[in-house]
Amino acid sequence: MIQILIRYSTLLFLTLLVLAFMSFSLAYLFPGDPLENLTGLVPQNEMQREALTRQFKLDGPYLIQFFHYVENMLAGNWGYSFTSGLPLREEVGIALPATIELATYAMLMALFIGIPLGYYAGMRCYSTSDHVINSTSITTYSFPVFWFALLLILIFSLQLDSAPLSGRISLLYDIEPITGFIIVDILLSELANKPLALKDAFSHLALPTLAIGAITTASMIRITRRSVIDVKHRPYIAAAVSRGLSSWQIFFRHILRNALLPILPLMAIQITTLITNAMIVETLFSWPGIGNWLIQAIYQRDYPALRVGMMAVSTVVITLTILVDLFNRLIDPSREKYERATV
Amino acid sequence: MPMLDIKNLTLEMESGDASIKALDKVNLSVSSGEIRALVGESGSGKSLIVSAICGALPSQWNLTADRMSWNGENLLSMSVQQRREVMRREIAVVFQNPQSSLDPSATLGEQLEESIPDEFVEGSWFWQRAQHRKKIAISTVHKVGIKYHKHYLSAYPHQIPADIGQKFMIAMALVSQPKLLIADDPTRGMEPTTKTQILKLFTRLNQTRSLSILFVSHDLLAIASMAHSMTVLYAGQTVEAGKMKHIKKRPLHPYTKALLDSAPSFRKDLPPKSHLPTLGGSIPTLQHLPIGCRLGPRCPRAQRACVQTPAMRKIHDHSYSCHYPLHMEKP
Ligand SMILES: Nc1ncnc2c1ncn2[C@@H]1O[C@H](COP(=O)(O)OP(=O)(O)O)[C@@H](O)[C@H]1O
Ligand code: SF4
Ligand SMILES: [Mg+2]
Repeated sequence: MIQILIRYSTLLFLTLLVLAFMSFSLAYLFPGDPLENLTGLVPQNEMQREALTRQFKLDGPYLIQFFHYVENMLAGNWGYSFTSGLPLREEVGIALPATIELATYAMLMALFIGIPLGYYAGMRCYSTSDHVINSTSITTYSFPVFWFALLLILIFSLQLDSAPLSGRISLLYDIEPITGFIIVDILLSELANKPLALKDAFSHLALPTLAIGAITTASMIRITRRSVIDVKHRPYIAAAVSRGLSSWQIFFRHILRNALLPILPLMAIQITTLITNAMIVETLFSWPGIGNWLIQAIYQRDYPALRVGMMAVSTVVITLTILVDLFNRLIDPSREKYERATV
Repeated sequence: MPMLDIKNLTLEMESGDASIKALDKVNLSVSSGEIRALVGESGSGKSLIVSAICGALPSQWNLTADRMSWNGENLLSMSVQQRREVMRREIAVVFQNPQSSLDPSATLGEQLEESIPDEFVEGSWFWQRAQHRKKIAISTVHKVGIKYHKHYLSAYPHQIPADIGQKFMIAMALVSQPKLLIADDPTRGMEPTTKTQILKLFTRLNQTRSLSILFVSHDLLAIASMAHSMTVLYAGQTVEAGKMKHIKKRPLHPYTKALLDSAPSFRKDLPPKSHLPTLGGSIPTLQHLPIGCRLGPRCPRAQRACVQTPAMRKIHDHSYSCHYPLHMEKP
């Protein structure tokens, strides 16, 4: 147990170190002055430049520079944006939670709709209801996410006028960002008309969540269904049937858990797709998330922002992936024997 | 009247556009209190028969039989509920691959305890019942010769050695106190001492509790001493069936004779270091089954008539299916 935790933390630490190195080298790879790319500050004269160079230890060897860089990242000195001149930490601190919020709701949608439907389809495999569920999920899964999002905008925002076109919440409400999750922030705020604000936030959330969630749900259905069908054909299910156990006993004692185990690692793979989809969709809905923010940074050639944005997104993705895998590792008793192979 | 009575069991598998008869008119019966051996080379369809009896065959295969009854009730036409009840209380199976017949995500104890019929468990509160369940589980694993129940009941299937897994499957089968135990190759790969232990246990259960046993194996030596009667299977066809002692003394079918001859200890008259007579060739695969008598290409007595499937013939309770059996003059 302790051993597993140590192994996973080492893995996480090393991966993040490599990432930090890549983000550091971006400062040199991007066009322009590495000093400016690294700090986001534009020195006005030679004296200022020298002071900055000394402060960031850019006169030393690369290794020292890198260590200093990591130190700064850990301390929260991520540099400044070229365009806004604001500290990047602050900007990412607002944009990243907005994306994670979207992705979380989409994932919850996938879990609460996709997994039960997948179980249902798998248990009834090759029946009419299974065919309906399966073909719907394949169709949804094949939609390109931006096209699907545009379709939703076209139908619900432009034609039916039942959902707002863009943004996170109406400008009427002034919500103090505490956690970065708009729903939680509204609940924490001292607003007089909380229910109204919540309703407004939900109507803003609905379409982007649906656009990302539908595709994740579809793949969740397919993964779950496949896994249930696989487990149903295992010899131990036949053996359980031959012992005269009832269908309920077989489902709850033998199929449920065994089918869930292969789903979790596949979910970890989904996280990357999910965040990517969220980043695409939020540019369409002008959702103030990290995807939108990065696109702006690209247009503006805001190199420090790109460097930090890439670091932040990949840190989130990698941490989540490793955590899901660790969780799966802890609940699956039969994975002990593959200990060496997993990490 | 036999407890388990199967007549002309045929199993057809679709493969591409052809349909293959993996089992062709198999006859098998087990009487009350009897140990019946089902022998045949591996690949002859023994395990398919076992799966057919407990209804574990994939539904896309076509299973037909003139009769397949358990205590006079038709197994093929009874309701799912009835069939489940029969499997729960009366017939117990040990499948041939114990390790894969155990759920990898549950401990052995959980799996054993869930096989205990509710009727056996005393106590009115759930903790009393849980305690009693545990007691039954422990005494059952002791019975099959597993000593460290503490260790093994809380182990997962991948943590135990293969022979413990086999014993465990036997324990799971016995815990419901069935009337018929079907054991598919239960001693495969066991060490001789463990094997003897299991065979002794079976014999004892047969004598004290009059448990009927269908013992499936290709190991003639193991069963010859304990079985009362025997059914010999070749490539999905029953070739000979009857009392063990009759068959041992005077086999009628060329295949049975070859099978017996290949086990040296049956031939007391064999001079030392003599050549063992066996059939040439090997058992045909399902895709290349010969027509008529499936032994044809390997049979030393085969004649033209053998392209027709021979009918089952009977001398008292000894039956065989061969056009030119050994008690007839060589054609
Ligand atoms: N699931 C299956 N799909 C296709 N063929 C099978 C399957 N199971 C068994 N068979 C075939 O049926 C024949 C009999 O197999 P089996 O009953 O396992 O033999 P035995 O138990 O006597 O060794 C073999 O030729 C085998 O290839
Ligand atoms: S029927 Fe013919 S081929 Fe078949 S066992 Fe008898 S003699 Fe041999
Ligand atoms: Mg077999």
